[in-house]
Amino acid sequence: MKRRTFLEAIAAVIVAGKTTFARQPGTQTAGLAAETRGAQAGLAVFDAGETATLNALADTVLPSALGAGDRRQAVRAFVSWFANYKPGADMGHGYGASTLRQPSGPSPIARYPPQFAALAEAARTRGAASFAALPPPARREVVEAFLNQPQPVNRLPTQPTGANLVADFMGLYFNSQDGWNLCYRAEINRDACRTLDNSEKAPAPIKG
Amino acid sequence: MLRYESDVVIIGGGITAALLAQKLLELRPTWSIIVVEAGARLFDNQNRLTYRKRNLDYGENMWPGDVVPDQSARGVISRTMAVGGSALHWGGVCNRFSEEDTRLHSMYGLATDWPLEWKELERHYCEAERRIGVSGEPSPLAEDWRSEPYPMKAMPATWNLIQLKAWAEQSGIRFWTTPQAKNTVAGYGGRGKCLRCNTCEVCPTGARYSPDWTFKQLLATNKLQLHDRTLVRKLALEDTGTRVSVAQASREDGTGAAVEYRARTFVLASGYCWSPHLLLLSANSRFPNGLANSSDHVGRYMTGHLAYQATIDLDAKIYPGMNEQHSLISREFFRCKPDQPYVRHDLRVWENAGGRGPQLRDAAGKVLLGDALISDWRTRTTRGTARVRGYFDAHPDRDSRLTLDAAAKNRFGDPLPVIQHRVDPATAARAGATREHFQTLFARLAKAGDGRVGQISALNYQDHPAGGCRMGLDPATSVVDTFGRTHDHANLFVVGSPTMPTGGCTNGTLTFVALALRSAMVIAGVDGPEANSRV
Repeated sequence: MKRRTFLEAIAAVIVAGKTTFARQPGTQTAGLAAETRGAQAGLAVFDAGETATLNALADTVLPSALGAGDRRQAVRAFVSWFANYKPGADMGHGYGASTLRQPSGPSPIARYPPQFAALAEAARTRGAASFAALPPPARREVVEAFLNQPQPVNRLPTQPTGANLVADFMGLYFNSQDGWNLCYRAEINRDACRTLDNSEKAPAPIKG
Repeated sequence: MLRYESDVVIIGGGITAALLAQKLLELRPTWSIIVVEAGARLFDNQNRLTYRKRNLDYGENMWPGDVVPDQSARGVISRTMAVGGSALHWGGVCNRFSEEDTRLHSMYGLATDWPLEWKELERHYCEAERRIGVSGEPSPLAEDWRSEPYPMKAMPATWNLIQLKAWAEQSGIRFWTTPQAKNTVAGYGGRGKCLRCNTCEVCPTGARYSPDWTFKQLLATNKLQLHDRTLVRKLALEDTGTRVSVAQASREDGTGAAVEYRARTFVLASGYCWSPHLLLLSANSRFPNGLANSSDHVGRYMTGHLAYQATIDLDAKIYPGMNEQHSLISREFFRCKPDQPYVRHDLRVWENAGGRGPQLRDAAGKVLLGDALISDWRTRTTRGTARVRGYFDAHPDRDSRLTLDAAAKNRFGDPLPVIQHRVDPATAARAGATREHFQTLFARLAKAGDGRVGQISALNYQDHPAGGCRMGLDPATSVVDTFGRTHDHANLFVVGSPTMPTGGCTNGTLTFVALALRSAMVIAGVDGPEANSRV
């Protein structure tokens, strides 16, 4: 399949997924099933194939300074986020606002199945059995296409939204404490509790 | 119907109510005091770490259940309604006003003077700081004299603040650290020491003062009754005379059960919104415009302060995220020289991470992955960023109002309030000069450190709101006297923020509390010069 045709195929799958989930009662059930799967199975919110894809994604989009263990940890953090997601949660109310925020919606994980399928389809068009089986340059090409079609993703979400699996995965890592530490090459450990001692000192450097 | 009798009923369960109740019980240990709060008590300290984590991970409410959904108002800036009030999740900043805030008319011919002496308020500032537990660095300015040291040593400046202070003071403006209601020593008030968790809005250690601590301590002594989830809907008068006889309430627990409170003294400690609201709701044939409202001033002169803020890119290594709520302050602009255009404000400096996060695309729009993303991010964060903000005073117009909104009602059918702030003509007339002042000031700060000012923005609401029951000596132009006693009803007091004629130009919580503690002397009937000097 030519590159353009391949991109169009990805776009079509993603668009179809969005439309279907928004309008078709049948796929609402699929979303609920995914949530139930997460809630019942603890951390096992993604099946083995999806987890393999996430691991391959981590190898593709995370910095080389991270070792294999760090990349697997990033995947576990992503999985854990969904395993502990609570639909209908009280989202509080912003200071300066008269109105309350809406409760949290259904888990964004419900929007991922067609996206996993699109990554798999992209791999098959390139002669690989799965996204994880693609060589790194091909994975990068698929990922970039994923972020450019059907609508370009311009920002990394701070939390997964379901709109784009790749952006969600990247956003959760890079916006994490570990991501910021790596950027600044320092143990800022943004949300860690620490004593007042050594307040005046810069955070310790880390390699990277 | 449930009926309760007590010496004092305090309506509202926020920070002023907590500390007022504490002081009244010290002054009058045999008195019975009931605090009635519409929201729930959230005393589950054991869950704070969980709530904090879920807020960090999912953006969930760090104080779940802290609202009464149908008890809302257009124009309020916080929906928190729970035991502890807005101070459950405040940042703990404990700035004082300055004498100029209370002498605006005498000194500048603007707005109005407060009907109290600064020295007297200053003593109650000290008391408020002791009761709350404030750690602070004294201002180096002689005008900011204080009669007592801060109860605790200052929160140490972080690496980031040390860099920012070195930068900012190149402008010739002096800065020091902001006083805060956070323990810098273990055990103050029975609470822990700050661990710089970076989430002061939900402090997992209790180092940041929160009124629920005071309520729990008072409840442990069995001297206080706390009736939460109970909405006071109306105050009724005795059949003859003007004394309040009963507070009529309904349970917010789903039953809607009626409750009556009878007391010798009633105190409204429900803040700037719900205090005047209850007075307006309590209209009767003798007070058709609402209780305490023979002057038609209830709900008027709603006040607060406005702000300009900006980010400044500067040549300093800043590591955002290590106690980022901690800040620098300068009070040099609390005073305005008579020969200068009038503008008074505080000036705060924080580290800044806004707009400094990872980006998916480079400037040309190319997708960045892995090392390329980190490289781009590092390039953009080589220099540091400061956030600077100045609260400036914006004096209220008489028609800056809280009124009843007949179109919006709660589950009981009571009309809800709507607040529409309006600055007075003098404030409006100097708006352009104020904006230019801040543009010049931010440029001065930036220039000193090879910095660049980002976009300057104005706050689009009045922060630290107050007013609605302003104090004054003249019953024709005010609602309460200098101690919060309503001019119309001898046994009805309003305390804290609603009584303020003007909103100052810095965080108001410490002032709200100081005024309430001052009121306590008269509520308790304590004889002495303090109780009698201005009445």
